[in-house]
Amino acid sequence: MSSVSRRPHGALVVVSIAVLLSAAGASAQEPPSSPPADAGPPASEVPPGLTPEEMAEIEKAFGGETQQGVPASTSAPPDARPGGGLPLSIPGAGSGTNFLDLSFILDVAAAGFSSKEPLQGGAHDPTRNGFNLQQLELSIGSVVDPYFRFDANIVYSQFGVEIEEAYGTTLALPYSLQVRAGQFLTRFGRMNATHPHAWDFVDQPFAMSRVFGAEGNRGLGVELSWLTPLPWFVEVTGSATDATGEATARSFLGASNDRVLSPLDLQLTGAVKQFFPLSDDLSLLWGLSAATGPNPTGYRNRTDVYGTDLYLRYRPITAASDTLVTLQVEALYRRRQVPDDVLTDYNGYAQLAWRFSQRWATAARYELGTAAHGQDGEVAADPLDPEWTKNRDRVSVNLTFWPTEFSRLRLQAARDDARWRDEADYSVFLALELVTGAHGAHAF
Amino acid sequence: MRHLHFVAAMCAALCLLAAAPARAALNVVTTVPDLAALTKAVGGEHVDVQSMALGSQDPHRVDAKPSLALALNRADLLVCVGLDLEIGWLPNLLTGSRNPRIQVGSPGYLNASQFVRVLEVPPGKVDRSEGDVHPGGNPHYLYDPRQGAAVARGIAERLAQLDAKHAADYRANAAKLTAEIDKARADWEKRLAGLRGAPVIAFHKTTAYLADWLGFEPIAFLEPKPGIPPNPSHVAGVLVLARQRKARMVLIESYYNDREAKMLANMIPAPLVTLHGGTDFRAGETYIQHINEMVGGLEKGLAGAKGG
Repeated sequence: MSSVSRRPHGALVVVSIAVLLSAAGASAQEPPSSPPADAGPPASEVPPGLTPEEMAEIEKAFGGETQQGVPASTSAPPDARPGGGLPLSIPGAGSGTNFLDLSFILDVAAAGFSSKEPLQGGAHDPTRNGFNLQQLELSIGSVVDPYFRFDANIVYSQFGVEIEEAYGTTLALPYSLQVRAGQFLTRFGRMNATHPHAWDFVDQPFAMSRVFGAEGNRGLGVELSWLTPLPWFVEVTGSATDATGEATARSFLGASNDRVLSPLDLQLTGAVKQFFPLSDDLSLLWGLSAATGPNPTGYRNRTDVYGTDLYLRYRPITAASDTLVTLQVEALYRRRQVPDDVLTDYNGYAQLAWRFSQRWATAARYELGTAAHGQDGEVAADPLDPEWTKNRDRVSVNLTFWPTEFSRLRLQAARDDARWRDEADYSVFLALELVTGAHGAHAF
Repeated sequence: MRHLHFVAAMCAALCLLAAAPARAALNVVTTVPDLAALTKAVGGEHVDVQSMALGSQDPHRVDAKPSLALALNRADLLVCVGLDLEIGWLPNLLTGSRNPRIQVGSPGYLNASQFVRVLEVPPGKVDRSEGDVHPGGNPHYLYDPRQGAAVARGIAERLAQLDAKHAADYRANAAKLTAEIDKARADWEKRLAGLRGAPVIAFHKTTAYLADWLGFEPIAFLEPKPGIPPNPSHVAGVLVLARQRKARMVLIESYYNDREAKMLANMIPAPLVTLHGGTDFRAGETYIQHINEMVGGLEKGLAGAKGG
C-alpha cells in the first residue's frame, strides 16, 4: 500500500486518541447529571432543604449539569504543610492528607555465575560476577486534584536515568471506569506490572524478558479499565501502547523505528482479572490476557501473545499467624508471523513461596521456555533468539529475611539449563533491598 | 455479525445488573470492625455496614484483596481509623475502587481520628530507626470507650449529612449509644479501679489509650521497637524490669503470636491477658460487648495477680 492511501489511517489514530482523551477529560470536568447507576445515596439527589424546583433552577444555570461528581471539600482542609520544612511530607495529625509521597527503593546484589555469559535477561537482574546495582527506584505518587492521581517510577541505573512509569489515573469517572494515560507497564498477566520490590525472587522470570523485553512490557499509551457490576470482582482492562522498544516491546516492533500509521501499528492489550475469596484465609486471583501488535519482519506481520495467570494465596487471618503461602503460575503462548511461516512458542513459570515467620520466608520457582516452532511443527529459526533451539528450564530457590518491612535480605541459588548449551549454568545471589520514604501501599 | 449481537446482549444484561440493586440504605464500609459496630449502632436500619478487616486480624497488615476494592466501589461512606494505621493497604484499594464518592476529601470519606484526642504524637522529627512509628500519633484509640463514643457522634453527624432524611434518627441513636457507653463505663471503671497506677507490660504500643483511660502504667513493651519482633536480650531486660516494678499483668492483642508473652508471664510471674483486637462484628457483637469482654479479661487478670 502506498503511503498516500495509508494517510487516512494516520488521521484515524489522531482522531481516536483525541476522542478518547477528550471523553476522559470531559467526564472529569463535567460529571454526569445522573449519578452512576449503582450510586444510591439520597445525598446525590435533591439536597435537603431544597425543593425540586429550586434544584431544577440551579441545574438550568449550569446548563443542565450539576456538580454531583465533584467531591466537595467538607472534611478537614488539606494540611497546610506541603513538605516545606520536611523532605518527606508527613500527614498532619488527624487530617491524613499529604501532597506528595516520595520513596526510594535500592536493590543491590552480589552475584556469582558458573557461566561466562549468563543468560539473565531482565534489566533489573544481577548479570555479572561481583556486585550489581539492580536499580535505584524513585517512586512518586500523589493525588493531583479530585479527578486525577499521578504516579511515577523513575529508575536510576549506574549510568543513566529512565522513566519507567509516569502516568495519571482518573479518580472520578462514572460507571466504575478508570483511565490511565502516560507511560505505564501494561496489565498483561501478573508479573509484568510488578516492580522488583514486590517480587518473590531476586530476578524476573525469563518468560518476561524473552517475550516482552528486559524492562517488561510497557509503553506510552492509554488504558481503560472497568470494574464490572457483577457480584464478584471482575476487572476488564484494555490498553493501546506504543509498540516500539527493544527492552519493552521486544516481540512487537522492538528496536525498529517504524512510524505509527494506523491504529494497527500500536500494541493493543486486553486483560480480564477475576478474584474469588474462597474463604477468609484463602483467595484466588485469575487472569486472562492477550496482546497484539505489529512485528518488523515484514509488511503487516503481527505478533500475538496470550497468557493466563493464577495466584493462590493462603494467609490465616481468623487466628494469630505469620504464615503466608502463595502459589503463582503464569503461562504465555506467543505467535509470530514471519516471512513464509508462523512461529509459536510457550514460556511460563510456577512459583511457591512460604513465609513461615514474621521475618523469614522461602520460595522455589520452576521456569520453562520452548524453542520456536514453525507451522510444520519443526523447530524454526527464531529471529529474536537465534540460539534458542531447544528447551530452557531454570529452577531457583531462595531464603528471605526481613529485618523490618522496609529492608530485605535474600539469598538465591539457581540452576539454569539451556539445552542448547553444553552444560547447565549455576548462579547464586545475595540481594539487599532498602525502602526509604513514604510507606507504600501493597497491591494484592 | 452474530458476535456483535452477543456482545450487545451481554452489555445490556450488565447494564441491567448494574441498575437493579436499588437500595434504600446507605452502604458503609469501615476499615476495622470496631468502626463497623459503632456505625451500625448509630445508623441502625438505615445503613448496611461492612468491615474490611476482621477483629482477629492485625489492622496494620491487611491484604488488599480485590474483593475489598469491590466493596469500596459500592460504598457511599468509608470510615477509617486514620493516623496511618491503614497506610499499607487502603490507598491502593481506594484508587482501585473507582468511586469518587469516597475519595479523600469527599463527604463519603471519614477519617475517625479527627474526633479523638490523639495521644503519642511524636514531638519532633521522626525516622524509622524508632521502628514503624505513626507520625500522626497512636492510632489504637478505639480501646478507650470515651474515644469510641466521640467517634460514634462523629459518624452520626456524617451520616446525617449524607442522608438528611434520617438525620434525627442518627443523632438520637448516637445519643442513646453514648449514654449506654457512659453508663457501662462507670461500671467498668469501678471494676478496674485496682488497675490505677499498676505497672503493666504490653506487647505492642497499642495500650496508650487504654492506659490513659484506666490509669495503669505501661512500663515496657515486648517489641523492642514498634513492628520489630521480640528478641531474647530485650525480653530479658523486660523481665528484669517487670520483676523490679512488680508488673501486674502482660497484655497482648489476639492477633499477635503470644509465644514470648506467655513465657514472660510465666517467668515474672504475672497473668497474661489477651485483648481481642476488635469487635467480632460479623458474629453480631456490639462495641459495648467487645469492651465489656476486654474489661472482663482485665478484671480476671487483676484477680489473678492478687491471687498470685
